Amino acid sequence: MSGTYGLYVVRQTGIHRLHPLTKLVYVLVCLLIGWLIPGVWSPYIVLLIGVVPVALIARVLPEVIKNTIKTAIPFAISLIIVQGLFWTGGTIVRQLGPFSLKAEGLLFAIRGTGRIILAVSGFLLLNYTTRSDELMLALSQKGLPNSISYVVLSTLQVIPRFQRKANTILDAQRSRGLETEGSYLIRMRALMPLVVPLLLGSIVDIEERAIALEVRAFSREGAKTSLLVLHDTRFQRAIRWLLMLGAMAVIGWRFYLWLAPRLA
Amino acid sequence: MIRLDRVSYSYPRATSPALNDLSVDIPAGQFCAVIGANGAGKSTLCSALAGFVPHFYRGRLTGTVEVAGIDIAASSLAELAGTVGLVFSNPFNQITGARFSVRDEVAFGLENMGVPRAEMETRIDYILQFAGLAGLAERPPFALSGGQQQRLAIASVLVMRPRVLVLDEPTSQLDPVGSREVFTVLRDLAATDEATVVLAEQKLEWVAAFADRVLVLHEGRLVADGLPGDILASPDLQRYGLEPTRYTRAARAAQAAGLRPEGDTLPVTLEQAAEFFA
Repeated sequence: MSGTYGLYVVRQTGIHRLHPLTKLVYVLVCLLIGWLIPGVWSPYIVLLIGVVPVALIARVLPEVIKNTIKTAIPFAISLIIVQGLFWTGGTIVRQLGPFSLKAEGLLFAIRGTGRIILAVSGFLLLNYTTRSDELMLALSQKGLPNSISYVVLSTLQVIPRFQRKANTILDAQRSRGLETEGSYLIRMRALMPLVVPLLLGSIVDIEERAIALEVRAFSREGAKTSLLVLHDTRFQRAIRWLLMLGAMAVIGWRFYLWLAPRLA
Repeated sequence: MIRLDRVSYSYPRATSPALNDLSVDIPAGQFCAVIGANGAGKSTLCSALAGFVPHFYRGRLTGTVEVAGIDIAASSLAELAGTVGLVFSNPFNQITGARFSVRDEVAFGLENMGVPRAEMETRIDYILQFAGLAGLAERPPFALSGGQQQRLAIASVLVMRPRVLVLDEPTSQLDPVGSREVFTVLRDLAATDEATVVLAEQKLEWVAAFADRVLVLHEGRLVADGLPGDILASPDLQRYGLEPTRYTRAARAAQAAGLRPEGDTLPVTLEQAAEFFA
């Protein structure tokens, strides 16, 4: 996460050069299809067809795999335990002492895990190949309020600063003899002298930050311009429309599947 | 360019006024330093010139503050941005955090003002050069040193071409190296003779080096107004909680010891000290 642009991984590939909205729409449509198409394995199929090849071309596949696994494993484990072992009824696959592993629960857990993996890897792919300032600019041009894009972008940069500040305060309190290691009780007690200066300091920071933003004409009405230039092409616009039409078709089809038995 | 007429101001719930019956005129192109002890009203004056008093802090303002022909009280912060530039102590809090390179950070204000892209490019190139940041243009703003960040804050405000630049102790949170970097930029700015600058500052040696005029505030009142050489060498300075420059102190010590005749003009800069002791 050491990059300058949030999660962005600097690579010179065609995927990196695509317009941010093209990538955003692509990832969202992949997610939608993976979640909506019935079947235990559909998220995995979309993952293999939709996400993996693009990550490979963008040369970020190792990063995507590594961090997807890191994020998805806790979900997968809890899903398998909860759904696999505590599924009511169903076919018993194996008896584990007082618990019984159920086939239906296991399949449900596999599908849930697949959905999470698909969502995480999709967003990682988007963020590894797209500078967040470019993504926010693209969204602003589509009408996203500037204040929201400011919050998203500044959070990306301010959180690491916030962590450093917390560490400074922690060191300062330790040097005054505050115990921060040991039992949970000791650590809980250490929390107050850390949190209070951090919060109070942050309130002052926020006031100054608001002033600095006002000085830079942040609240000025009227058209804004941008130093960043986003390259869009007619081809990419067409692709985006096609993707969105495809997504709508899937939604319509899924709706029909849900509705048909109810009308019959 | 700046006109204060009988200005008094109290912060909300404050018992004593932060500014007390202040009247002063600052013509265009003047580099005016404001000195005074902590709590003398320097920051409040800076806030008033930029409109944050009363539009941000609220409180009660009487009298008239006029900058570039605009009545501050009747204006709004959005309208004042670009007319009055404000730089304050903490460099980190002045960086928006919403831009990922020094160049984009400088562009932030221009983008909000809707300046066309081609003009933005020229103005940014010029200002980065001026602030000595040209070599750092592609660096992330938070990776800069304190002095560099403060020069970035100054550049980001200057690029908007404000009629008046207000600096509120811009070096108080910097190390000596960072302070020197910032003062070098300010001295270059003073040398242009075009910018109208109000600088609240505690470091009197730097004030002496390039201010055209010095205002002394004490408990919210304007107690002295004149040329740096006169004000900074004045024996009244200590009454207002200010320490004279080391040059003045050395010269006074020399007079007290009988090494130099009484009545000579006391030095306030290194050059004048060299002359005094020659």
